[in-house]
Amino acid sequence: MQSFMDEFTLNFIEGNRYQYIIEGLINTLIISLFAVLVGIAIGFLVAIIRSSHDKTGHMKFANFLCRIYLTVMRGTPTMIQLLIIYYVIFATVNIPKIFVAVVAFGLNSGAYVAEIVRSGIMSVDEGQFEAGRSLGLSYRQTMRFIIMPQAFKNVLPALGNEFIVLLKETSISGYIGLTDLTHGGDIIRGITFSAFMPLIAVALIYLLLVTGLSWCVNKLERRLRVNER
Amino acid sequence: MSGKVLLETKELEKKFGDHQVLRGISTKICQGEVVAIIGPSGCGKSTFLRSLNLLETPTGGSVIFEGKEITAPGTDVNRIRQKIGMVFQQFNLFANLSIQDNITLAPVKLGLMSKEEAQRRAKELLERVGLPDKADAYPAMLSGGQKQRIAIARSLAMNPDVMLFDEPTSALDPEMVGEVLGLMKDLAADGMTMVVVTHEMGFAREVASRVLFIDEGVICEENAPQEFFEHPKNQRLRYFLSKVL
Repeated sequence: MQSFMDEFTLNFIEGNRYQYIIEGLINTLIISLFAVLVGIAIGFLVAIIRSSHDKTGHMKFANFLCRIYLTVMRGTPTMIQLLIIYYVIFATVNIPKIFVAVVAFGLNSGAYVAEIVRSGIMSVDEGQFEAGRSLGLSYRQTMRFIIMPQAFKNVLPALGNEFIVLLKETSISGYIGLTDLTHGGDIIRGITFSAFMPLIAVALIYLLLVTGLSWCVNKLERRLRVNER
Repeated sequence: MSGKVLLETKELEKKFGDHQVLRGISTKICQGEVVAIIGPSGCGKSTFLRSLNLLETPTGGSVIFEGKEITAPGTDVNRIRQKIGMVFQQFNLFANLSIQDNITLAPVKLGLMSKEEAQRRAKELLERVGLPDKADAYPAMLSGGQKQRIAIARSLAMNPDVMLFDEPTSALDPEMVGEVLGLMKDLAADGMTMVVVTHEMGFAREVASRVLFIDEGVICEENAPQEFFEHPKNQRLRYFLSKVL
């Protein structure tokens, strides 16, 4: 027990090393939150373009661009995308690393969100769409008031899963020298040469974050299901 | 067959790929008429009905509604559909909305009524279809017969000039058919113009002012119900009636 306390003191208390964890946690939260927002915005936009194209045959060029985007984002590792965005695309401009991370993870997540949302739109019965149109609602109104709310409810579990993956994926931010939670723990390990404490602490914090996130998604899911038996 | 012509088709054709479903259907539907359409499954009667509000785009011929050719390019289809109600076999109530919102959504979003007006109207309509206590329920909580009555109320909320029914009782349990047919009978008695694709020969005989028999994409026979059922002239109609009656 004594040695446990010594280890704890060494890794977190001495030299205020816990601050690396705090700083990393804050960065991880910022990156995840904004990347999720970017991902949702891109994802819904791409999903709507793709499914509108499938349904009406319009927007051929936009659909083509979306497909290229999906192929590239889903076909290459996230880490490579992060490195390319940091070292190639933003190489010559001085931009905060955290912004680079938000862009990279947001773009990446958007591709997955897009396909999740598209599957949700396709899962809504065609009759719902026809009923909306038969009342005189436009394509856009029918999508907005009838199809999208149902699609969103159908894909909520899959979206929650995607956000969990995204949160954990931000742990590669250290590769562009950004102090996220993982990197923060690693800095401590580098100073104290003790692996157990910082790594377990980091793992526990991720676990806590993911558990909290799942809880929120479950709650939202239950609330949206009140209109079913 | 008095009154002015509300809806007319001229040589209406529809092809799905190589498969020609409608082969030139011409008919006129006058104000206040109740037209029943019968025929074997796959004969094109649903496709014909769905062409009338352009849920299916005809590949030939034309549809004329209230004197305007709505199959002409540049027609504001959404505006036309506001005046043509439709009731589906599978009800298609909006699963994400309460019964009241199902009824008020279109009139409010299309700017035809204020929210309060629409809610008052919904209340009236719920009384009329005999479900005044269901305003706050959701579609999943209702029986098939109740869903279909709500679907009819939803269409009526738009004050349509004509209502299309696509096999409105085919997905119902037998004991619920009566409540829906009863409501449709009331509508007919109130003078609503109706086009009904149905397998309910009793309804066609009793309520319709005219019955059409469609087979292989053409109208084989049309007549007033009594003559239609008692002295069918067309061979295929005779054969069809011998199987269903």
